[in-house]
Amino acid sequence: MTEGGLEDVWRECAPHVLVALVHRYGDFDAAEDAVQEALLAAARQWPAEGTPDNPRGWLIRVASRRLVDQWRSDQARAVREELVAREPAVPAGPEGDDSLGLLLLCCHPALARPSQVALTLRAVGGLSTAQIARAFLVPEATMAQRISRAKARLRQVGARFTVPAAAELPDRVAAVAQVLYLVFTEGHTATTGTGLTDTSLAAEAIRLTRTLHRLLPRAGEVSGLLALMLLTDARRAARTRPDGSLVPLAEQDRSRWDRARITEGIALVEATLPAGPVGPYQLQAAIAAVHAEAATAADTDWAQIELLYRMLADRAPGPVVTLNHAVAVAEVRGPAAGLEMLEPLLADPALRRHHRLHAVHAHLLERAGQPDRARAAFATAARLATSIPEQRYLNSRL
Amino acid sequence: MKYVILIHSNPDPWGHPTSMYTAEGRSIPQAEHDRMEKEFEAMLAEISASGEFVTAEALADPASATIYGWTPEGHVATDGPYAEAKEQLAGFFLIDCATRARAEEIAARFAGPGSTAELRPAMWPGADDQ
Repeated sequence: MTEGGLEDVWRECAPHVLVALVHRYGDFDAAEDAVQEALLAAARQWPAEGTPDNPRGWLIRVASRRLVDQWRSDQARAVREELVAREPAVPAGPEGDDSLGLLLLCCHPALARPSQVALTLRAVGGLSTAQIARAFLVPEATMAQRISRAKARLRQVGARFTVPAAAELPDRVAAVAQVLYLVFTEGHTATTGTGLTDTSLAAEAIRLTRTLHRLLPRAGEVSGLLALMLLTDARRAARTRPDGSLVPLAEQDRSRWDRARITEGIALVEATLPAGPVGPYQLQAAIAAVHAEAATAADTDWAQIELLYRMLADRAPGPVVTLNHAVAVAEVRGPAAGLEMLEPLLADPALRRHHRLHAVHAHLLERAGQPDRARAAFATAARLATSIPEQRYLNSRL
Repeated sequence: MKYVILIHSNPDPWGHPTSMYTAEGRSIPQAEHDRMEKEFEAMLAEISASGEFVTAEALADPASATIYGWTPEGHVATDGPYAEAKEQLAGFFLIDCATRARAEEIAARFAGPGSTAELRPAMWPGADDQ
């Protein structure tokens, strides 16, 4: 088995091992550290000694030993051991509930978004602190601190990995969805390393969203999120040229789109939309599906996309939705109609310093036959861009 | 997204915290300094706990700098400061925030008597899929 294949094995096991340890010993914080050490031990030993017959059992054994060693060296060991002795063995519930509980715990509302992301990738994704730090371009010590502070915070608020009451569940699942979507968008180009076992964060987000979808097959927004990720990721190979420069959607070589991802994404959209209620992820996925179904950019069914944006603006209004809606309106009714929709956004405090508003403005001005104003808008967009390849693309339009 | 908060100030003599060594800072009573310092420490604790704080450094006197210029013949070193600007770079903080609005909320609290905080987004090698 390749090293990457081995890594898949231990990372698949990670959440189950963690849940088993928390059930046995009760201490999430210490158990999470012990699992991390067991994963690192697997990374060292498995490639040389071969995968154990029962990888999950191996990891549970090693992690338990680390946890007990840690407690023995602890000054307060007497107290701790007494606590463990008193802790009743928690009967393991259905495995699915445990995995969901773990995801919900990592995305607990008491944690700030960056902490939720880091803890989810480590405790559920089984990534090492070093891998997460590399993916988010921060020092490893910073990431380690972020994770240990997040766990301390969970302890402080007494959070447990139980599935909350039905009334609370939708909000908590929505938070998990937002975290996974953030991992997907931030990780679109980031990888966690430079070797054979690189993991793309986008792939990791898809893997975790698949897990969430398996646990909650009837949650429409989770299906929508998974479809949106698959349909967006399908275009990855066509998005960049070999020199790293960006290829806009309209100019992409559609034969390079990943058909398997598209088929799966479209099937999810078709299965989910009629089941209602329709949420923002489902609508964004439906829009991505319309793009995916067009054989060429000219074949795009813009009328349907415009309708979907109108529905999205109705359910989740905001300046970014208006911006994307304006692009569709310009395709259906001409650049003047799109420019009219953009006008108020140019004064919107949340968007007026965002490069994409000015990039869209520039494209529409260009199509409206106003090259001078278009050039000025491209210049504004380039100045505001914080992505190196996007800035390079915008500068090329001056 | 990562942002750098640049602290521009011209303490005389050079020293940290800069607010103790600027004309504006000196005109403020000690009790007020103590209050502001407590607020600042609480804010640092908050952004450390939230995972938004990445790193920070206070910088030495600009007079201690060495400036390297490039010429076709090679590099040329001169003793600093880089420019006789009214305000010098006194320190920086690197933060990692979910939104620009959040970064702005944090950065505003870095302005002090006689020092200006400048918020700059960091460039990143990736790109949004649009």
